[in-house]
Amino acid sequence: MAEETWKDYKDKKHSRPKPLSGIRVLEVCTLLLGPAGPGFAAEMGAEVIKCEIPPMGDTCRDLTPFGYQFREQGVAFAHMNTNKYFLGLDLHKPQAQEVFRELAAKSDVIENNLRPGVMESWNVGYRQINEINPGIIYLAKNGFGQWGQYAEENRPSNDGASQGFSGYAWLSSFPNQPPLKSRLYICDNYGALMGELAVLAALHYRQRTGKGQFIELSQTEAIMRAMTWVWPYQQITGKTAMPAGNRDLSVCPADTFRCKGDSFVAIAAPTPEEFKGLCNAMGRAELADDPRFKDHLTRLREDNATAILKIIADWARGKTPAEIEALAEKHGFAACHIYDTGEVVEDEHFRARGFMTEVDDPVLGKYLDHEFPVMMSKTPPRVEWGCRAVGFDNEYILKHTLGKSEDAIKKLYDCGALGKWADMPTRRPPSNWDGKAGLRQA
Amino acid sequence: MEQRWPDWIRERDDPHIAHTRPEALDDITVLDLSYKNFAGCYCSSMLAEFGAKVIRIEPPEGDFIRTCTPYGLLYKGEGLNYLSEGRNKHHITLNLKKPEGREILKSLVKKTDVLIETFSPGVMDGWAIGYEQLKNINPGLIFASITAFGQFGPMSRSRMPDYDNITQARSGVQSATGEVLPEGKSYDQCPWAVPTKAGPWIGWAQPGTFTAVGILAALYWRGISGEGQALDVATAEAYARFDDYAALWYQETGIVCERFGSLDTAGWLYCFAPTRDGAVFLGGLRLEMWQAFADMLGKWEEWGAAGWTTLQVFMRKEEQLKWAPLVFAETRKYTNDELVRMSVEYSRKGRLAPITPVVAPVCSPDEPMKDANWLDRGMFTPVKDPIYGEVIVAQAQHKMTETPVRTKWVCRPAGHDNETVYSEYLNLDPRRLDELKKAGII
Repeated sequence: MAEETWKDYKDKKHSRPKPLSGIRVLEVCTLLLGPAGPGFAAEMGAEVIKCEIPPMGDTCRDLTPFGYQFREQGVAFAHMNTNKYFLGLDLHKPQAQEVFRELAAKSDVIENNLRPGVMESWNVGYRQINEINPGIIYLAKNGFGQWGQYAEENRPSNDGASQGFSGYAWLSSFPNQPPLKSRLYICDNYGALMGELAVLAALHYRQRTGKGQFIELSQTEAIMRAMTWVWPYQQITGKTAMPAGNRDLSVCPADTFRCKGDSFVAIAAPTPEEFKGLCNAMGRAELADDPRFKDHLTRLREDNATAILKIIADWARGKTPAEIEALAEKHGFAACHIYDTGEVVEDEHFRARGFMTEVDDPVLGKYLDHEFPVMMSKTPPRVEWGCRAVGFDNEYILKHTLGKSEDAIKKLYDCGALGKWADMPTRRPPSNWDGKAGLRQA
Repeated sequence: MEQRWPDWIRERDDPHIAHTRPEALDDITVLDLSYKNFAGCYCSSMLAEFGAKVIRIEPPEGDFIRTCTPYGLLYKGEGLNYLSEGRNKHHITLNLKKPEGREILKSLVKKTDVLIETFSPGVMDGWAIGYEQLKNINPGLIFASITAFGQFGPMSRSRMPDYDNITQARSGVQSATGEVLPEGKSYDQCPWAVPTKAGPWIGWAQPGTFTAVGILAALYWRGISGEGQALDVATAEAYARFDDYAALWYQETGIVCERFGSLDTAGWLYCFAPTRDGAVFLGGLRLEMWQAFADMLGKWEEWGAAGWTTLQVFMRKEEQLKWAPLVFAETRKYTNDELVRMSVEYSRKGRLAPITPVVAPVCSPDEPMKDANWLDRGMFTPVKDPIYGEVIVAQAQHKMTETPVRTKWVCRPAGHDNETVYSEYLNLDPRRLDELKKAGII
């Protein structure tokens, strides 16, 4: 039974193996599209070595809501750079390129999100690495891929550009209002997730054949892939898919409704049982037999959908979200008030499942963060440690992974191939760091 | 001379040659039992595109999700979301409510690597085909469940079903996405200035993708250990995982992330800006890019851009609210095209060239579908489907040198493949199938 499968999952997960143990990933990634993917792999147990150009490293370290820093770190950076090893390597320098190539020879996956050609100019492009490690899985993520008009124009991209370019933002707004940007970096994160999907498929193929490969991932293509009905709709009707605010055009009824006290609740009740449940909850049982609402396809038609949503809106206006949630539970349809961040963090259910998980980090201290959202009964992915300063794990990687001597490491520092953090918040460890905590012994 | 990188890579990963390449997962069989849940369909699509043999199992009357289609529109009898995500799958029917149907499922499970299901927790157990029961039949089985609340935790036995708009509400993301209610206005006057959900079913596609990633990680682990396992995904958790800074920000400061229109809480310059004919995305997350933008608009002197020393100042809320109207007043003077061209021009001849701000048009979804760049990259190549004819769905989002994704067919009616699948896997002859059909089993 499910209870048996998941008994004590949260408490026991740290004593269990992780699914990608033994996989080594090198990342040369900045901002979000790049680092988020290896972040997922790291939470699933891959050994991820994050290469940053010292002393400033990843620009993502600057992303802070209204300038707020989380324990002197960039906040988004802290969220997506967990479980990684931090190497400060200036890939402009030939000696650093040599270190990278030595690491690449011992790695399974390389990920970057630079513009096409940059890695090649550093002698660590796919063709160059493939010569020394034909099993390598090499993922390049960016806005427009490696070839085609926009790639050739060397156009820059980022999440907001991709939300714009794909039609995603335009479609996620209210009719006759300006297009609305999602507060999520959805195209960065989703592109990163799709990148990892391909890496894992490639890994499966390599397990069978020994062959590596090159993967290119355009974040705009990735988000367009997720916009399922939009494309056949436009082809078949010859019309542009239109924004509809909070209303779900494919599920009826499904919308966000205003309740008492200017609070909001999302409701969905499309199946016959769910719809009947909602009608009963509203004390309007007769609506379930109304010819306009008799089945889902009929209800979805523009006029009918508008009519039923209006009826629900008028009803919801006199209720609180909590009352509607209770009715949904009783009558078997779906309703949820609009959770704010505080409610997500404090939610009893998310806590009990360990989705809001307690991280006890030797450098950053204790804090709560989202757990990797796929729970795996035998190999639980999890956050084990937090982000680190630029070059924090230099010695560990060079000694432990590459077997370099103290002398060789000193030479790399002297020529600037290897480096550490700039002495400023978001780049250095927190000021209460004792100089030892979190460092690994080679 | 070495071939130019874009030419070299295109020769090897252009989607036009995808059909000549091997498939990463063609040794894997997946049973997709998902019901009225698009996350399940999307998840199995992710695997089917990489070549897994996916057997879609629906009740004899077909999956309700086939009726979830914009405005109730059907194309050759098929809903448009399902038309996109029936791809590459073998569609069979099986009545799991009947004991004989469940026996047939068990026979299929013996020959299966992965099972995907979306029933309320406890339903599969109650039918004696939950993970604990099926793992005895097939210890290597990877059993993935996608639900609203997950398999355990205080809310896991809630009656409330899983829908995209509910996931977006519960994740905390919707609360902080949307236009800010203008001062002195009410929701009656501005019904668009409310917490706003995003995109067509991202709250289903994204958890489905996470599940596919988890499945591939579990497959990798099985390749090492021989062990199968159960996977548990709660859709709101998956979507909340993309919320990069809100939880960390809240727990230290008590600040709840609020709606900020199309500005960005964590970045400047990073927003949508109105133009003469629509809107553009503006991105300049480094100081020089923001300076370049001011310069591009001819405001270098007036705004004192030469004297700016750090971007941190501009990220504050009050600074953003001060600068945004100044920027928008300028962008309103130009069309999208003019601004994009000005940015390209600036990268060549501007004072800070090659540094230039990212300027991208915010497109309606009609535009990418006609854009020569995406057409050239195979994103919207019509699929020649034997049943539905030429259908445009988004595809080819993973370009790979060895095992690229491909769309072989878009969809099939419920039960279309009963004969071939039941004969291949269970050796049932047409007469037996006929009996099962009459008995309401398939």
